[in-house]
Amino acid sequence: MKRKIINVGLILCPIGFVFLSLFIGRYPISIVSIIDMFWSKLTFTTYNLSDIYQTVVWEIRMPRAILGALVGGSLAMSGAAFQGLFRNPLVSSGILGVSSGAGFGAALAILIFNTQTTIYLFAFGFALLAVIISYLIGKVYNTAPTIMLVLGGTIVSSAFAALISFIKYVADPSDKLPAIVFWLMGSLASASLQDLWIAGIPMVIGMGGIWALRWRINVLSMGDRQARSLGINTTLNKGLLVIFATLATAGAVAVSGTIGWVGLIIPHIGRMIVGNDNRLLIPASFSLGASFLILIDLTGRMITGSEIPLSILTALIGAPFFVYLLKITKGKGW
Amino acid sequence: MSLLEVRNVSFGYDSQDLFHNVGFRVNPGEILCLIGPNGCGKTTLLDCLLGALKAREGSIFLRGKDISALRPSEIAKHIAYVPQDHEKSFPYSVMDIVLMGRTPYTGMFSSPSFEDRHIAEAALDLLGLNTLKERPYTQLSGGEGQLVMLARALAQKTSVIVMDEPTAHLDFKHELLIMETMVQLVRETGLSIIMATHFPNHAFYFESNNIATTVALMNKKTLTAVGSPTDILSEENIKSIYNIKAKVISCEVGDKKLKQIIPLNTLL
Repeated sequence: MKRKIINVGLILCPIGFVFLSLFIGRYPISIVSIIDMFWSKLTFTTYNLSDIYQTVVWEIRMPRAILGALVGGSLAMSGAAFQGLFRNPLVSSGILGVSSGAGFGAALAILIFNTQTTIYLFAFGFALLAVIISYLIGKVYNTAPTIMLVLGGTIVSSAFAALISFIKYVADPSDKLPAIVFWLMGSLASASLQDLWIAGIPMVIGMGGIWALRWRINVLSMGDRQARSLGINTTLNKGLLVIFATLATAGAVAVSGTIGWVGLIIPHIGRMIVGNDNRLLIPASFSLGASFLILIDLTGRMITGSEIPLSILTALIGAPFFVYLLKITKGKGW
Repeated sequence: MSLLEVRNVSFGYDSQDLFHNVGFRVNPGEILCLIGPNGCGKTTLLDCLLGALKAREGSIFLRGKDISALRPSEIAKHIAYVPQDHEKSFPYSVMDIVLMGRTPYTGMFSSPSFEDRHIAEAALDLLGLNTLKERPYTQLSGGEGQLVMLARALAQKTSVIVMDEPTAHLDFKHELLIMETMVQLVRETGLSIIMATHFPNHAFYFESNNIATTVALMNKKTLTAVGSPTDILSEENIKSIYNIKAKVISCEVGDKKLKQIIPLNTLL
């Protein structure tokens, strides 16, 4: 019974937040108008309210909320998948260098082209490149591939972080530098309906793959020897999981910038609510990640006149919460 | 045709062989005890049996089929594995752990079904673990943890179970409990067990309980002797592999003839 309530709550939570984000913002729209608008869409009747309402809701707030849900869900789901895969609850979605790779790609694109599309493509491309390099480094030493992969990710992350600093150093401080810095702090502000279609594809494929393999994550988290003796082709399954989690994360950071903490703390909140079984944890991570990021985005655009970048808020809320979590889970066996 | 036949197997991580010319057979309802000093390659040999490592030379046949030609899920339907006391990553519930035994029977993109759940529950019932079902397995005692791993192997519905030092770190009672469970399983289900152990007396225990028992002594990069415990676990053989002086004693308790080997002192 309690389980059912939790499940229903987890399903309704992101839907509720998407709905909430439709009428919260600078341009006031009442709940009644929103409901009327939905009703008219459903019944195919024309809604006689000004076009501005329509534009604000359907072309600005709705895509932004859905993008927030996809980004939050992607980061949290791939974080949970990586934690299982690397058998380490302190691993996050950026573990293989995805975020720093994307950050470098975006900074480079801002420096050279400065258009929305090139920033997205560069960020996505370099995010994938970072993971590929991490993987190749992991291959060098064959006996403990998982640890080497993590080490590879750390090396690649710091290399790209240095490259980002270099680009910041040479960038024009009057316009390019602020653009780079702002991108790195994360935002959903660029979201438009067309963006959503392109950026959504890798995230949806990645999340779908993780979802489908979620039972296998349980088995893989027992370690290679046991997973193998339980009938799993460990190389193939790990490879697929890394690919799916990378697609999801790269798709997310390419469109929203680097957003910390979601890929680390959300899976932990999930563990506290539904337990460690990935069959439940993976869906729960999506739901919580999606809700959390929409909430952060709403907060970010509501507190002050200009928007507060996402990673400032995720970390400000995330960091103390993480310390709190470490404190209370100490007795739980990890 | 034997259930499992190891023919002339050699393996090494580098250019040197860790072991070579290893061969033995396992029949249904038989327990094979692999005994040898630390670092002689027992665990590595078990890895070869599980298909986790590929033999450098020779072959391993499972019901007449070479395991190097079988997919992991096919091997896992015939051979289950009970690991040594291991590092635990996440506090899964006991039920989740036992359900993992059903993995070879679930598709790549699916999760265990309702029926799999029943099979896992039956395995827990068989070992009297049903009260632990919802407990996190990280909080279990060593003995309980080992029984849960055995339940997972039973849920896998295999004809062979491979165990790596199943009684390591267990107290006197739990060691006996595991041994009794093994005897009961072999007797009632016709299961075969291959175990690596540091305790030669385990082999005597199985023998005195009328289980078909084979001892394989592993030393100097190969199997130096294979046969029944009484034949193989002699004072001379123990001396040659461990370099210790030992004494085999026997006594009768009820209608059972018990044997034990007692280490006396190390030799230079």
